Amino acid sequence: MLKKLTQFYYPKTVEDACSQLANAKEKTSVIAGGTSEALRNDSTIEALVDLSKIKELSFIKSDSSSISIGAATPVQDIYKSDLSGVSGELLKTAAGKIGSTLLRNAITAGGNLVALFPWSDLPAAYMVLDAEVVCRKGKPKRTVPVINLINSKPASFLTKGEIVAEIKVPVFKKGTGASFAKMSKTSNDYSLITVASRITIAGGKIEEARLAVNAITAQPVRCEEAEKLLVGKKPDAELLAEAAKKAVAGLKVRKDYRATEEYRKEVCEVMIRRSLEESIAKAGK
Amino acid sequence: MANTTKKETVKKAAPKKATTTAKKPAVKKTGAQKAAPKTKAAVESAIPESPLVFERPEKFEQVKHSLEKVDALGLVCGTQKYVGDIDLPNLLHVKVLGSPHAHARIKSINTDDALKLPGVVAIYTYKDVPRVPRTTAGQGWPEPSPYDTYLLDSKVRFVGDRVAIVAAETIEQAEEACKKIKVEYEVLEAVFDPEKAMDKGAPVIHDEKDAYVPIPIFYDKSRNHASHVETKVGDVEKGYKQADVVLEKKFYPHYAQHCPIEPHICMAWLDENDRLVLRTSTQVPFHARRITAQTLQIPIKKIRVIKPRVGGAFGAKQEVLLEDICGLVTLRTRRPCKLALTRSEEFMSSRTRHPMVVKIKMGAKKDGTITALSMRIISNTGAYGSHALTVLSNCGSKVLPLYRTDNIEFVGDTVYTNLPVGGAYRGYGATQACFGTESLMDDMAEAIGMDPIKFRQMNHIVEGESSPIFKALGEGREGVDMAIGSCGLAECITKGMKIIDWQKKYGKKGTGTKRRGLGMCCLMQGSSIPEIDMGSVFIKMNEDGSFNMLLGATDLGTGSDTVMAQIAAETLGCKHTDMIVYSSDTDMTPFDVGAYASSTTYLTGGAVITAAKKVRDQIISVAALKMGEKIEDITIADGICYGKGKKNKVSFSDVSKYSLYENKQFQIGAIGSHISHASPPPFAAHFAEVEVDTETGEVKLLSYVAGVDCGTAINPQLADGQTQGACMNGISFALTEEYIFDNGKMLNSTFGNYKIWGTKDMPNLQTFLVDTYENTGPYGAKSVSEISINGALPAIGNAIKNAVGVRLTHPPFTAEKVLKAMKELKSAKVEAPKATAKKGKKK
Amino acid sequence: MKLNVKINGKKFDLEVNPNAMLIDVLRDAGFKSVKNGCSEGSCGACAVMIDGRPKNSCIILAGQVQNSEILTAEGLGNPETPHILQRSFVDHGSTQCGYCNPGSLISVKALLDKNPKPTEADVKDALDGNLCRCTGYVKRIEAVLDAAKIIQKGTKGKK
Repeated sequence: MLKKLTQFYYPKTVEDACSQLANAKEKTSVIAGGTSEALRNDSTIEALVDLSKIKELSFIKSDSSSISIGAATPVQDIYKSDLSGVSGELLKTAAGKIGSTLLRNAITAGGNLVALFPWSDLPAAYMVLDAEVVCRKGKPKRTVPVINLINSKPASFLTKGEIVAEIKVPVFKKGTGASFAKMSKTSNDYSLITVASRITIAGGKIEEARLAVNAITAQPVRCEEAEKLLVGKKPDAELLAEAAKKAVAGLKVRKDYRATEEYRKEVCEVMIRRSLEESIAKAGK
Repeated sequence: MANTTKKETVKKAAPKKATTTAKKPAVKKTGAQKAAPKTKAAVESAIPESPLVFERPEKFEQVKHSLEKVDALGLVCGTQKYVGDIDLPNLLHVKVLGSPHAHARIKSINTDDALKLPGVVAIYTYKDVPRVPRTTAGQGWPEPSPYDTYLLDSKVRFVGDRVAIVAAETIEQAEEACKKIKVEYEVLEAVFDPEKAMDKGAPVIHDEKDAYVPIPIFYDKSRNHASHVETKVGDVEKGYKQADVVLEKKFYPHYAQHCPIEPHICMAWLDENDRLVLRTSTQVPFHARRITAQTLQIPIKKIRVIKPRVGGAFGAKQEVLLEDICGLVTLRTRRPCKLALTRSEEFMSSRTRHPMVVKIKMGAKKDGTITALSMRIISNTGAYGSHALTVLSNCGSKVLPLYRTDNIEFVGDTVYTNLPVGGAYRGYGATQACFGTESLMDDMAEAIGMDPIKFRQMNHIVEGESSPIFKALGEGREGVDMAIGSCGLAECITKGMKIIDWQKKYGKKGTGTKRRGLGMCCLMQGSSIPEIDMGSVFIKMNEDGSFNMLLGATDLGTGSDTVMAQIAAETLGCKHTDMIVYSSDTDMTPFDVGAYASSTTYLTGGAVITAAKKVRDQIISVAALKMGEKIEDITIADGICYGKGKKNKVSFSDVSKYSLYENKQFQIGAIGSHISHASPPPFAAHFAEVEVDTETGEVKLLSYVAGVDCGTAINPQLADGQTQGACMNGISFALTEEYIFDNGKMLNSTFGNYKIWGTKDMPNLQTFLVDTYENTGPYGAKSVSEISINGALPAIGNAIKNAVGVRLTHPPFTAEKVLKAMKELKSAKVEAPKATAKKGKKK
Repeated sequence: MKLNVKINGKKFDLEVNPNAMLIDVLRDAGFKSVKNGCSEGSCGACAVMIDGRPKNSCIILAGQVQNSEILTAEGLGNPETPHILQRSFVDHGSTQCGYCNPGSLISVKALLDKNPKPTEADVKDALDGNLCRCTGYVKRIEAVLDAAKIIQKGTKGKK
């Protein structure tokens, strides 16, 4: 319960929101969907800035070069959108695996990134798509690779008065395929292992490879050693198996009472191998 | 009889009574016969006899129709109220401080700081309340469960056990107060393994002197030994010698919670007559009244228990868990109060399924004859013994009779551990035990080279047969012998096979990473606890031809109000919507044991028929009087009474008005009570199709088929709904539900981490009922509500075996367990079941 | 804190605690159909429609619905004039204990508002956050598909 909460602000623009955050005398935080905020039990927060009704934060746009999504866009809208292509499909798949319809109508594209948990679904997809995050402090903005945001803990990456406003992903050329998989016991369940990958093939060889996991780790990570192994090579079963093995070997597996570390590593390897297989198969289409 | 007029008869009688001056006309009907004849005629007992068999009408007008559930519209529109849906002024909110330790003594407990907090009105510890050992189990008195539970105690026996009770103006203030209660614990060694709980030197959980059993049943708390049941039929050792194959295996059905979407909740207040009113989400209002009176040491007549709508129960609410606390707070503070368990408290400190160690041994010949069957159970009742004996007994009584064999042995022990408390849960022992028997049936079929379905078909009990187990295993007393009056199991099997396409698919596992398998099982359960439980119903007629039906029987959402209305309407000859049903109010409704043991339709239904018959007779008498016709010429159809040849007619409304206002006025109404004399089993056959991912161990349930024989389905739609709900519950129990413990503390006590299934997890689920008629049941009915929760564990276990060859004994069948088992099978490290194949042995 | 909100078409000016959860605000305002099953957004018994979106009210702070329009099951229909979905739930036997029904109705109302011709998969998707322990969902899915057909035909709800 947010015991000290006394104030809600309802900015209409991003400028208002950032200025309210920057000038707040009370301990202030943002709220979009609120699913993590409501359960946080933070007895220090005194005010909340509600981003959910700011029109310029809730949108899905796509053109020939990129897809951009407002940070306060409910992930249900991504799931049910008509986004297409490699990036669009991956975002839809990942968004659709989040919780349930009721949760997806609250959880936002930005919230799922900034309130980062091991089981957060979209961040791994953002990572393999080389997403960029537009952070705004009123009018001024900076665009940073999502991996920078994630690696320095999103909440502490942002400066006072700054919010995540938009997530951009590129549209990939032909010869690219992507895959997203989540291992969980039921459809509305925290992920046990999340695996996302993207492969671009040119001239029969892997030109670009991205591989990210979450849930088995405390936060989403790119498996860079495995990616390096794949680039420049012809994709075959042995290569993929080796890459999967290398990826898992480099993971810092978090404590999770739901399954042993041994099991999760073994299955993560299987999931990575299958993810790469799927991305490569799709790249060929 | 002499053809004299009445007057002449009187005249003739008069001279005999020369001394008397009273001129009593001989034929006037009065209550007691004051004129005492010298010969002593036997006075008929006023105690009603419950019939064994009911009459069977040629055609059903109300029964066997899927009529609308009487409360359904109100439920979907939000006008029906559950316990917490009323607002009471001056309400106190109650919170129970739960123990952080699995086993500890309270060395000191200080509430001073907590009492100083704003809004805190009262805090009670064991020092403030009477110490009355009793059971929380909602069972008939005297309960066949140990009296080992206290309102509050100076010892705690599981994580979440009651430490103190707080009442405050808001729930947040009550929660804050709990944090400020200073408790000093002497932490004791705990025992978590039921197979070690009776060992010499194991910590004694109930070392208090005053725990005891109220009836002469086994109880040895000094060794954590809460119950022992055993029975023998024939000679199993001889039977095993006769077998060609003997198999033995241990199974470990696990902890699970009922997960009613409405957690336990109770409200209490003092009414205008200073009586304690308990508005509670319960399956057992009358037992709740009695046990609360016992615990708080107040007279039963000072308590009224009301059950409004209940948001699911499944056995969890066959327990008196909150009423004593709310009663205490209201009596002491004289204010209304409310106690609602959180979901986490529901998991940890309400009730669970009894996890068990189920050892099954079976001997069979190659021709399929089962020569011997042994069942050895260790049931883990957790820290307190509610239902310790009865769930254990049901392991045997609801499973062993299913297959024909001359030699049976049942030995069961229930033990205490410092873990969450087992209680009643749909299936009630049969769930756990049949996991063992139905798994071993498949293994045995394989061992003797027989098809697993054929093996069952040739051995299962059929109509006309009996089993010595029926008499041997009761619930704290001897059971009741009976022959099977109806059995549709054969049809359940053949029809189920067709629906799941068994013949075509069985054995076709595939060769890729994903392997498919089929499995099935046969089930039986019971219908009521014969000779022990009783239900009663009162029906009175209103002037518009409607009836008030007051019954103690408890509708949990199961639809018993509707089913009883249908039975009454069938008997009376009207529509079920003419019945105004009011249930489960200890002041207003006559006694009923409550909703458990699959009783309501079979047992209370009998009381409904009994009462309705009496009312029908009264209606006919009044109709005859009004129409000036003979009673034997009156017929009833659709709320109308017809005279001879249907020349005259009067409506039910006409009859009632006549009886209330016009002539020979009396209230048309009657009470009916019923005790059952048998517990006829419903039967079922369940089928599962799985796909196993051999690289991850994940099991995907593709299809699930359940066929059920419940005798007449009074309301087929409701019966089908019960089956579907029970199947889905059994399925998640088999695959994803589990309690994960750390030192006795449940780590996953939320829906986020304890997984029950949603719509996107569903298999292709198909259910059907087969048509049989049980003569001892009301209009042919048996029970339906419990049986189908038992099927998934064995059917899915058998399907996994079929798909990838592994026999899993430790559910739930998680991906990790399946993968591990497959690896072990591959490296042949697994111990084969103790199979002793006999060579060329003569019979 | 002042909360201006429209509930089932009627304007409300409420005085609430800033840290109150929406479920408690709604229940205190008399809308008892909104049920608490888990307090963590997992079971869906508390689902209400907020500005056209079905959400778990147990994890929404009251302040988040300032000036919003909320729909609860009471607003869908009453026993005299039930909504076609409510009528269909009853007719198909989708209502046993009923505790999860109000939240489920909101989820499927939201579905039919956006997708008047749902498939079985669409219905399962829409209900994936509404846990039910009584019915096994089969009859609920049938009820929704049937209701969709009736609404498409333009037939009025049965009496």
